[in-house]
Amino acid sequence: MTVLRWPVAVLLFIPNQVASLISNVITALIQIWANKIRSLLTVLGIIIAVTSIITVVSFVQGFGNYFTNFLRGLGTNLVVAYPEAVRGPRGEFLKLAEMDMADIRAVDSFAPAVRRVAPRMVQRSSVEYGRQQVGGITLIATNELFQPVRNFYVDAGRFFGTVDVEDAAQVCVLGRELLRRLECDERIVDDFVHIDGQRFKVVGLLEAKGSFMGDNLDELAIIPWTTGLKMYPNARNYMSFYLEAKDESQVEEAESQLVHILRQRHDIKPGQRNDFGVFKQDQVLKEFKKVEIVATSVLAGIVSISLLVGGIGIMNVMLVSVTERTREIGLRKSVGARRRDILLQFLTEAVVLSTVGGLIGIGLGYATGYVATLHPQMVEVSVPIWAVLLALGFSAGVGVFFGIVPAFKAAIVHPIDALRHE
Amino acid sequence: MSQQQNLAPPVIELIDLHKTYRVGTELVHALRGTTITIRENEYVAIMGPSGSGKSTMLNILGCLDVPSSGQYRLSGEDVSKLSQSRLARIRSRKIGFVFQSFELLPRTTALKNVELPLVYSRTEHRRWHAVTALERVNLLDRMHHRPNQLSGGQKQRVAIARALAQQPDIILADEPTGNLDSQSGSEIMDILDRLHDEGQTIIIVTHEDSIAAHCHRVIKLMDGQVVLDKLNGRPTSLPRPTNRAALHEREVVVS
Repeated sequence: MTVLRWPVAVLLFIPNQVASLISNVITALIQIWANKIRSLLTVLGIIIAVTSIITVVSFVQGFGNYFTNFLRGLGTNLVVAYPEAVRGPRGEFLKLAEMDMADIRAVDSFAPAVRRVAPRMVQRSSVEYGRQQVGGITLIATNELFQPVRNFYVDAGRFFGTVDVEDAAQVCVLGRELLRRLECDERIVDDFVHIDGQRFKVVGLLEAKGSFMGDNLDELAIIPWTTGLKMYPNARNYMSFYLEAKDESQVEEAESQLVHILRQRHDIKPGQRNDFGVFKQDQVLKEFKKVEIVATSVLAGIVSISLLVGGIGIMNVMLVSVTERTREIGLRKSVGARRRDILLQFLTEAVVLSTVGGLIGIGLGYATGYVATLHPQMVEVSVPIWAVLLALGFSAGVGVFFGIVPAFKAAIVHPIDALRHE
Repeated sequence: MSQQQNLAPPVIELIDLHKTYRVGTELVHALRGTTITIRENEYVAIMGPSGSGKSTMLNILGCLDVPSSGQYRLSGEDVSKLSQSRLARIRSRKIGFVFQSFELLPRTTALKNVELPLVYSRTEHRRWHAVTALERVNLLDRMHHRPNQLSGGQKQRVAIARALAQQPDIILADEPTGNLDSQSGSEIMDILDRLHDEGQTIIIVTHEDSIAAHCHRVIKLMDGQVVLDKLNGRPTSLPRPTNRAALHEREVVVS
């Protein structure tokens, strides 16, 4: 009994205001239910607006998280420099610019904001193991610093070491997807595979990274860069490299030092374009921000138009409702309702109507997100709670804004005229 | 004890009441200097042909409208110049309306309909008051029915219960049997008669003599003026001391 006492006490002391608000909401719900189809058509605009808010926000959010995670996986301080096409005055391709180990060593030695550098040479290769042959594999030739620089570690066996690089040893590290395609398991470590016809000892297996934008990041093999140059001597003048800045705040500085050193070494005159490209992860973020801005402005357009349409719909149906229920208003006034009471009743009704639309829209938004995640390559989308609150706030706001005129019209109805109304 | 002391205190005092309003360009003089006093527990019929001013009178009596000039005192309080929200307050506490076409809220149970005035007067224990009122019109068994599940007579009984719920000073009934067959009509009149016997002040606006015959006093209006104010020939009744007046009398005797 004592457990029950205080909730009962609270119930008894619910202020009259709250009680009449609740009774207004119930009246409103009864009205909405009595005119189901009309109410549904009325709130269509609101439903569309809220559905688009929820859908677009959750997609933008989902892709944002996806990019952020991907970039974090790359290592937060990563910069990649690569030779670029040298173009003639009309933009025609002349040749690929040159970049070699001397460039890379120079950056390593003379750029103070750089912590470490790992050369990078990429080839499409085929890998053979037993009877299995797999083509189109990304073969990366690099040094022993690859792991910390790319934030990409082995989780079975070992990575190759300095000695392997110095000796140009025939050792390799394989990615998990490649392993899967070779139809083998971790027993492959210490066994031998053939990469582009040459025999390599597998010393380790890389952790799984998953895929990004449809590219599988685990379909790769890594060998020492010295070994790579032995296999592909032509590549020695077209090397690129990974660079890790000392910390996140020095990424910009590392980049400008790198640019300075390379321009000097490549003898590029002021005003001439770089013959190399630099990729930073915040470039991806910048690109994504552009997409986000476009998506947000399209969203704002759709939302404001459909909220306007929805609001006008609500105003219209509320005006009709006030006319239809003139007698009811008269009766309520004759039993003691003040203008304020009637105003609040009809305003509540408009707000409840638009909020119901908002709730339906939130449901549809969730449903859209769910359907989208059924696609295998879709990123994980989640609806942030602030978007739900924003959407609800918008719909309730529309109810207040467009409900105030009909509610006022109801409030000033004269009881005598109302009771004579046919 | 004089005749004057025997009279119940007045509930309604209309003093030289005028009401004019404009219909298009025409100025209508609906009430022209009406002076009426209605005492506690009186049972009054207001009659008159259409255009006689009886609707205007009803609206003013019910505090739905205010007079252009003159004074209206309800239970001693001058209500002729009150603001809309004060009038609403008066309506919710002192006046119970019964309309010709019932005016119940559809899709709402009888009980909730009866509770409606109590919601606006912010009365506590609404459920209890509403149930009591429904009991007085013998509709307890129908209290969870909606208007479309009720007969015309039952609807009007719900409407009477709604008027009773706030224990008003007066009940104003506008053609209460107008939409009913004769059997339901007499049922309703029986209830009103009984309420009157229980001490309720009742004013009925009607044009039916058979209805007016239930009342103890008939006021006839014509062109906005009282042309007849007579007591009906039911000797037991007029002017009838209320229970309260009787009590008062007893107290006087004791002291």
